[in-house]
Amino acid sequence: MVEAFAVASGKGGTGKTTSTLALGMALAETHDVTVVDADTGMANLLFHAGLSDVDVTLHDLLVTGTARDVSAATYERFGMSVVPCGTSLAGFERADPDRLRSVVADLAAGTDVLLLDSPAALGSKSAVLPVVLADRVVIVVEPTIPALSDGLKVQEYARSYGTETAGVLFNKVREDVDRIAEQADRHFGGPTLAQVPAADVVRSARQAGEPLLAHAPDSPAAAAFRRAADAITVRSGDGDAVADRFRSAVVPETI
Amino acid sequence: MTGDAGRDPALADAPLPVPRGDLRRSRVVTDPAVVLRSVLEARLDGYLTLVPQETLLLGGDARAVVTFDGGVPTVAYNTRTERGGTAALSDVALTGPYRIEVYELPSDALDPIHGTADLAVPPGAPARELADDDDLAARTRERAPDDRPAGGDPREEPSGVEAFLADDDRIAEIREQARAEAADRAAEWGLGDLEADPAGFEADPDDHGAKTGTEDPIDAPDSRKP
Repeated sequence: MVEAFAVASGKGGTGKTTSTLALGMALAETHDVTVVDADTGMANLLFHAGLSDVDVTLHDLLVTGTARDVSAATYERFGMSVVPCGTSLAGFERADPDRLRSVVADLAAGTDVLLLDSPAALGSKSAVLPVVLADRVVIVVEPTIPALSDGLKVQEYARSYGTETAGVLFNKVREDVDRIAEQADRHFGGPTLAQVPAADVVRSARQAGEPLLAHAPDSPAAAAFRRAADAITVRSGDGDAVADRFRSAVVPETI
Repeated sequence: MTGDAGRDPALADAPLPVPRGDLRRSRVVTDPAVVLRSVLEARLDGYLTLVPQETLLLGGDARAVVTFDGGVPTVAYNTRTERGGTAALSDVALTGPYRIEVYELPSDALDPIHGTADLAVPPGAPARELADDDDLAARTRERAPDDRPAGGDPREEPSGVEAFLADDDRIAEIREQARAEAADRAAEWGLGDLEADPAGFEADPDDHGAKTGTEDPIDAPDSRKP
């Protein structure tokens, strides 16, 4: 069984990577979870997961002509399988985004939950691809007008490809946003998963190279992420069918 | 810096008795933070007018006015919606690029207006509502005097966000635009094959709108993927 989720926001700085790893760790208590840094242009998951020194990353798997197996870039960390992406411009330029689908297809065959940390923008094919390929999208927003507007745009893009909304995660919340969440519920195709409070501990987790749930498991923010994960009922998809879908996605040669 | 001290005609209809200022800057920007930052750094006494893209194209004069005291935003008014305070900002958010004109006034010229509680905005609100720039909002709040009556975190003023989400027409417009954009790009990027998915949706955004509905998205079809 596998269900692929894109964790997306439409704008940067909403805490997508923190959310991806936090949801991943929470879901890993009951599922086999694989987390992929699908933001190949502005990768940062490796810093959050203490993987900044690793030799092989997703970039290496995306280089045409190399025959590396996905396992070479898959690291078992914090109870999850983590596939980080490199940050060098050279790596990005060498990478052929078209190969992402086959890499993700291989990963889909051996996991329950696939979380794709997606690019913030919607302006290129490689940026949209994770949202296109996923079964559902988790939309991370801050309770601001630009963030909510961009979240709605991501949802419409996702729907355009038949990708449903699993829910909306309000991040960096500084006060009760119940009324905002209530209003937002009318517009998003999934429930509000949680309101995650803004917290300094998120920054210190990143500095320590640890996911929030490992760095500060008892913090209110970690508890909120666990509630969000609880609110997601993972569907038992057919791993082979998901893999086929990733492989058959038509992506042009050039980005 | 044009040095042109032109009168802003739209302000004639505003309830704010804003005296004519000296035009210090006039430019079209996609990110209002650029101008808000320079105003803060220059510790401007005066105001700016902000004309959204739709108005630029239509040649209208609807705009928002934000006044500053020592570079810190103080009151705001929207001449189209006739709303003041944070709501005036949310009415004009996301409609950029904007033509922003910055006017300077003597430091005491806006004192009568700055006592207008109905129109007051928290110091960080324009940076946050218009530019989504947390750092600039924080720096602006730090610059605000301690006795600012409307001080505080703009996130404590959620009315702007709520007003935005309550505006169904505006939300529908955003979604419709995104659907059209997604369909255009799907064709451009050769992602059309996915839409041929048996239960998938057609590339025509209208068809999609009819299929999933825009009124009650929670009732969107269940998994349309294998």
